[in-house]
Amino acid sequence: MPELKYVGTSTTRIDGAEKVTGATRYVDDLDFGPDLLHAVVVESPYAHARITAIDKSAAEAVPGVVKVITGQDFPYRFGLYMKDRYVLALDRVRFVGEQVAAVIARDPKIAQRAAKLVEVTYEELPPILDQAASVCDGADLVHPGLYDYERVPWFFPKKDTNIAHWRKTRKGDVEKGFEEADVVLEDTYTVPRYAHCAIEPHVAVGLFDQSGRLTLWTASQSPHTQRNVFAETLAPLGLSHKDIRVISPLIGGGFGGKAGVTMEVLAAVFAIAVKGHPVKLRWTREQEFGNTYQRQGLHAELKMGATSDGTITAIEYTMHWDAGAYVEYGANVVNAVGLSATGPYRIPNVKIDSLCLYTNLPPGGPYRGFGYSEFHFGLESHINRLAAKLGIDPVEFRRKNAIVEGDTLAYGASMNPSGLIEAIDKAAEAVEWGKAHEPSGPGKVVGKGFSLMWKAPAMPPNAGSAAFLKFSEDGSINISVSGMEMGQGYLTAIAQIAAEVLSIPPEKIRVETPDTDRNAYEWQTVGSHVTWGCGNAVRDAAIEARDRMFDTVHRALGYEVDDLYLEDEKVKCRTAPEFELPLPGFVIYGIQMEDGTFRGGPVMGSGAFMPEFSSALSDPETSQGGHPNVHYTVGAAGTILEIDKQTGKMEILKTALAVDVGQAINPDLVKGQIVGGLLQGFATVLYEDMRFDEHGRLLNPNFTDYKIPTALDAPREVVPIIVETAQPDGPFGARGVGEHTMIPAAPMIANAVADALGVRLKSMPITAEKVALAVEAEKE
Amino acid sequence: MPIAHELEYARPETIEEALGLLEKHGSGARPLAGGTDVVPAMRDGNLTPEIVIDLKAIPGLAGFTCDAGLVRLGALTTFTDIIESAAVLEHAPLLHEMAVTVASLGVRNRATVAGNICSAVPSCDSGTILLVYDASVHVVGPGGERAIPIADWFTGPKRTALGEAEIVTSVTLPVPSDWHGGAYVKLGRYGGEDLAQASVAVLALSDGSCRVAFGAVAATPVRAPKIEALLGSADLTDALIEDAKKLVSEETSPIADIRASREYREHMLPVMLERGLRAAARRRAGGGPAYGTRHI
Repeated sequence: MPELKYVGTSTTRIDGAEKVTGATRYVDDLDFGPDLLHAVVVESPYAHARITAIDKSAAEAVPGVVKVITGQDFPYRFGLYMKDRYVLALDRVRFVGEQVAAVIARDPKIAQRAAKLVEVTYEELPPILDQAASVCDGADLVHPGLYDYERVPWFFPKKDTNIAHWRKTRKGDVEKGFEEADVVLEDTYTVPRYAHCAIEPHVAVGLFDQSGRLTLWTASQSPHTQRNVFAETLAPLGLSHKDIRVISPLIGGGFGGKAGVTMEVLAAVFAIAVKGHPVKLRWTREQEFGNTYQRQGLHAELKMGATSDGTITAIEYTMHWDAGAYVEYGANVVNAVGLSATGPYRIPNVKIDSLCLYTNLPPGGPYRGFGYSEFHFGLESHINRLAAKLGIDPVEFRRKNAIVEGDTLAYGASMNPSGLIEAIDKAAEAVEWGKAHEPSGPGKVVGKGFSLMWKAPAMPPNAGSAAFLKFSEDGSINISVSGMEMGQGYLTAIAQIAAEVLSIPPEKIRVETPDTDRNAYEWQTVGSHVTWGCGNAVRDAAIEARDRMFDTVHRALGYEVDDLYLEDEKVKCRTAPEFELPLPGFVIYGIQMEDGTFRGGPVMGSGAFMPEFSSALSDPETSQGGHPNVHYTVGAAGTILEIDKQTGKMEILKTALAVDVGQAINPDLVKGQIVGGLLQGFATVLYEDMRFDEHGRLLNPNFTDYKIPTALDAPREVVPIIVETAQPDGPFGARGVGEHTMIPAAPMIANAVADALGVRLKSMPITAEKVALAVEAEKE
Repeated sequence: MPIAHELEYARPETIEEALGLLEKHGSGARPLAGGTDVVPAMRDGNLTPEIVIDLKAIPGLAGFTCDAGLVRLGALTTFTDIIESAAVLEHAPLLHEMAVTVASLGVRNRATVAGNICSAVPSCDSGTILLVYDASVHVVGPGGERAIPIADWFTGPKRTALGEAEIVTSVTLPVPSDWHGGAYVKLGRYGGEDLAQASVAVLALSDGSCRVAFGAVAATPVRAPKIEALLGSADLTDALIEDAKKLVSEETSPIADIRASREYREHMLPVMLERGLRAAARRRAGGGPAYGTRHI
């Protein structure tokens, strides 16, 4: 590969200055003028109930109220992968906080007051609050109409049950595998629900103008997918894609919570209800916790076997997911895990069952890691325990069974290039694996934990990315794409990819946030795929622009296209060293000929990408036959943890994560992902979790009792390690890295606690309280 | 989300004016100092006063003095005022150690000690500290001024001895004028700001005696008279500390809530008491960690 100039360097992020100076305007900062109306929703106080009557007359009588809306006004279902969600509850509510009605008023306070006056009469139903209640015999059905819901072909709901999807993966013969094993270990692991806690709550503004144009300004990871869902949902009203426009300015964090469509569909219908007026719907922090997506809870039964030489022979992994009241997105989390729950190991005999269960808790959905953090907790805990039973060092055990390029995946496809062995060795070295560490004081102990991780983007096989790119007179470039910058540095990476192809410094490139009218298509910014997918599209757009320039030079000056190249913002020729054509001017005005005419024209390029090798079609009983995942990113992580045995308080003295990104487009941004992802992962294991009472009410929809990490909670030292085994179909060899960095954190802590104390905790989170009480229980 | 209900806002410039408004509106009036408890409660719709009486323009309530022998905290004294005072660190260092654990910088800039004890949640950080300093709460009302000993102040969760038409004017702490040591041990769920899962305050006096108070483990912050009597003025030997730890269950009645289980609180209180006693004793002896250092 030729030497890279811009790719692989830590270019300063191009959205940095505007963010740190406060110049960035988020959706809530946009000015919609004095006509702006405000909406407040009426929420269900019950987890499960029938709506028997709604009286909106008192609310409608409040001066300043423009309209009161109920589910009957927009009786439509919507959803990303399965249409099981209602714009507003129709005849039944399925979780506490579900939107039942809405008040649109001239002032947010008026809307809030009037919302309290909407009288909803309910007939309470027994709520289903966990997986066991959801699958038990005779369980009430959360969605009696489930089997008839429109859905993607790779979902398999079970009629007349609460099982919305059941992903089965079968390879080899697990019974035979367990017979061959010298050691078999079986246990149960549980993971609670979690909240994304992006600093910017969901907000959407809708305007249905007098011409019949519907525009939405949304804080979203998925503007084009939102347009598509809006168009599908609102088709009965005569709206089509061309009539709908979604504009998404920079967002204040997503973590999966702003993927797909949640509350934004409300802003769309509210706008239609008050034609001509923009309507703003802004979630409170409480709603952000209770009525967006939540990371789904997991109850996992895991059985693994290995021979005495340390070869894993079989895995049987049964996972029951608490997916909540609507699973239009969350069922795909369950699906992704069902395909990949072997983790990054070579296992000949596999039986995975991943069941998506309806409950009367808030809707589950995508969250950074897309189910992989959850199943890794059990898997990587189990790997350590299996190694202990075999008397093998847990890192060595992992190394021996680590998946490598060409190994057969659980669903039959082949593993992509992978630097997993290198990652294991580097992470182990960074935490001085095998060396004992002295605790810092009496009553303290130090343990070490290790974990591998892998993850693939979970995308439809035809998820596409596109890019437009155009030059201006001075040789600067505007790139139009529709991926979302949400802190990860996407805009910068995209600029660097174009810069590399076109020999333009990244600071001469501006990358826009999406407006679906004008920007090129992007499926969604999820799955850690945009640098890879959109990066490929941008590279292609840049190549098209470059080829257009070369063609012009050839036509005007006669140089052969194959001899031309770009360097330092100039067209040059290998066979004519004296030739130099600066891009400024030329890229708009072309080249003047001796007769005074010009050749060329404004230079632009377009590119598109779709993983044409991917397929979601496979045998529903085994998952064999398809190619559902485009590639896996792998990594290994280690940590040194000090524990105060009396208090259970834990401090991460050092942690290292080595991740194979194929090619780091921007090493500093990759390191940012590693540091940030680990911190988020550590928080989920050390103190975060969502608590519900026996009525399905969320007890901690606030930062008083739902703790996310502060600077004081960061590990003392983080060692980010970049491994680069090129991904052949990635831009300059890059593959995704955004979500992966939080995946190894939880099992790594569980393993370090076990190493330090000899206590195995199998239920997240692993709080100081749990550790201290476990130490006490050991004493008895 | 805005405060949705209609309310009047008054900003009296004298105590008399404030008392007049309180008398006129009765339970419909709510005094406001820093507002860090009152405003969120109004925003959540849990508190809907017809009038908010902002006390910040009343000159007599501002300012604080700190001398050997007496610390007087005007009702508007914020936690940041305390943290930034060198005199507090010298004369009432335990007050400083407590103040740095309260919420976050932004909240500490607004929140007042008086407001903290008027809200009177069992976990309030000020409570245990004022208890071990034997503070007095000075209030004024229709019947004139009175001083309420802190021991009589807390009457239940979120309940105090303050009369409906009264306001707090100051809190005084008769701090020991000779050398003493103290420790505030606060248990939280993580490194960032948190409400106490449990707290222990220890004040080790020059005569060898110790005062002890617990927070978040009873209906109100509580002194620990049995432990104090046991400790007397004796040397804090390992054996004596062990005996003191055994009395914790007689002084407290922790419950389970979202912040901690009863078992963890019961487990941690003796641990925290021991750490508090040892740190306070070392500080009394002229050593120990700097005030503001975490003990757990």
